[in-house]
Amino acid sequence: MSVLLDVKNLSKHFPIHGGFFHRVVSQLKAVDDVSFVLEKGKTMGLVGESGCGKSTLGRAVLRLHEPTGGTVVLDGTDITKLGAQALVNARRDMQIIFQDPYASLSPRRTIQQTLLEPLETHNIGTAESRQEKIEELLDIVGLRKHILHRYPHEFSGGQRQRIGIARALTLEPKFIVADEAVSALDVSVQSQVLNLISNLQRKLGISFLFISHDLAVVQHICDDVGVMYLGRLVEKATATSLYKDPKHPYTKALLSAIPTPDPTIKNERQILKGDVPSPLNPPSGCTFRTRCPKAMDICAQKAPVEVEVGTKDEPHWVACHLFESS
Amino acid sequence: MSNKIPLLSVRDLVVEFNTERGLVRAIDGISFDVMPGETMGLVGESGCGKSVTSLAILGLVPSPPGKITAGSIQLNGRELVGLPESEYRKIRGSEISMIFQEPMTALNPVFTIANQMTDVLARHQKIRGKQAKNRAIEMLELVGIPSPDKRINEYPHQLSGGMRQRVMIAMALSCNPKLLLADEPTTALDVTIQAQVMEQIVKLQHDLGTAVVLVTHDLGVVAESCQRAVVMYAGRIVEQSPIVPLFQNPQHPYSAGLMASIPRIRAEKVDELPTIPGTVPDLLHLPDGCRFADRCQYSDERCHKEQPDNKITDSREVACFHPCGEAS
Repeated sequence: MSVLLDVKNLSKHFPIHGGFFHRVVSQLKAVDDVSFVLEKGKTMGLVGESGCGKSTLGRAVLRLHEPTGGTVVLDGTDITKLGAQALVNARRDMQIIFQDPYASLSPRRTIQQTLLEPLETHNIGTAESRQEKIEELLDIVGLRKHILHRYPHEFSGGQRQRIGIARALTLEPKFIVADEAVSALDVSVQSQVLNLISNLQRKLGISFLFISHDLAVVQHICDDVGVMYLGRLVEKATATSLYKDPKHPYTKALLSAIPTPDPTIKNERQILKGDVPSPLNPPSGCTFRTRCPKAMDICAQKAPVEVEVGTKDEPHWVACHLFESS
Repeated sequence: MSNKIPLLSVRDLVVEFNTERGLVRAIDGISFDVMPGETMGLVGESGCGKSVTSLAILGLVPSPPGKITAGSIQLNGRELVGLPESEYRKIRGSEISMIFQEPMTALNPVFTIANQMTDVLARHQKIRGKQAKNRAIEMLELVGIPSPDKRINEYPHQLSGGMRQRVMIAMALSCNPKLLLADEPTTALDVTIQAQVMEQIVKLQHDLGTAVVLVTHDLGVVAESCQRAVVMYAGRIVEQSPIVPLFQNPQHPYSAGLMASIPRIRAEKVDELPTIPGTVPDLLHLPDGCRFADRCQYSDERCHKEQPDNKITDSREVACFHPCGEAS
């Protein structure tokens, strides 16, 4: 398999202003030293609780947030070093689907205007071929073409999300970031949209970075999964390996916190104590140690480094002191 | 079930809203009972009328545009529909309490927690001053807030989402209500915090014997904490049943579809998730027959023409001509 996206040591720090002169008083490390690789035609899931930096990471990869450090190589080009015009051109290959289908479509534009815009910006095709293209896209996402002259408010959440997906597909990108793309939808519609995304992926061979807080959704749609906590990737593995044999105590707790839709199963739940610490003032050493049921002395002193714990077929990395010595 | 007297009894309730586009019947003739001390789930997707139901019980349907046009709501045999506002205020917070979905907006940002909690106690229990504050601290301790004597003097913005929801729970339970309405209490929270808060609600419900109506779209939460559930679709109740048979053998095709499409951690990956085709009907243009008929794989001519009545068998109730796909 060939590598499509190679993210190395990516960081995004936001300056915190304060004091009398509004100087920079500290840095909020929203994403801190994250590395991962996404292969062509694969989907990588990114899970974590709110505020863990998963959306910031998704945006930093697309340079919607200017990264503080690290490199993002998409198909051989280092995106972090591109100039403004080159970046616009590079964006043809990378698109995003947003969480809120109500806020991500302009209410004053018809669906046709929304879908044509990317093609016009990039000067692709003639007027007729553009029109053909967007009609074809609507067909792919399962909408009828007579909706082209309607406005977003006339559609339900599920339909809007389909339009958002069609928009992301107009430029035939190689890579799409789906940021909580199904979280705002009801379950019956959610599964429709999930099926659509996995079909598209199979048919068009697009790679996805699928950001979600829902581990069950991620399992269904992803080949690889990364788990984030306070701006760092604490565990990454193939979906099979991660769900069968989670290593990091945080991943274990996340998995056990999901309510099981079966009243006959009463699972032994491991409930984490307390809240996620403030990212402004993260704990020393391992950031998870304040909530970790297995915290040791070393966890407060030293941040754990990533170690390989998987096999050749099922690669699996974890950043935890429990696994470092072995 | 019939040998006990229900705490709350809703009969043929109809709530209508006057909108620019016409009269919308958000709730169309629903009936259900809540027994003392039980936890009942009220399940359905957005727009099915589950939140309006809980607002109607509390007499909080915004009027205008909304209005309860028919039916009755009885709490311990006392009729609540048509009660004057001054009487309703005595019931809210003392006999029936509510926890809202948004812990960020349900607390007043300009008052401290102490202020808001003692307010409730002063109004309903006539406890004031130091005594009220001590009682509030006790409640905060009960819901698992660390160092409650310090936290009580803080403002809502100083607390995290999970903490705020705990404060809401503490406030809702401070006057020992008989019925607690929890409208999506954990939807805005992360899974690990959701687990903490749900554990707390279940524990308190057990200790204090409060009946809880849990309004939610999350069937996983219902499966873990409720004894019985009511499934709503487009303003009507399609099925109500004790929890175990509902999950093992859903009778209404909608409940069955809903169960199947919950994303769950599976041992083996499936190629295609089961779905319910189509979308919820527009409440302004409802079909004549069964409201689910257009999306139902078992529907026939009769389903499109007539509304199915509720069939009651044992402790279960289902509104369908072909429960579980059987031919009529």
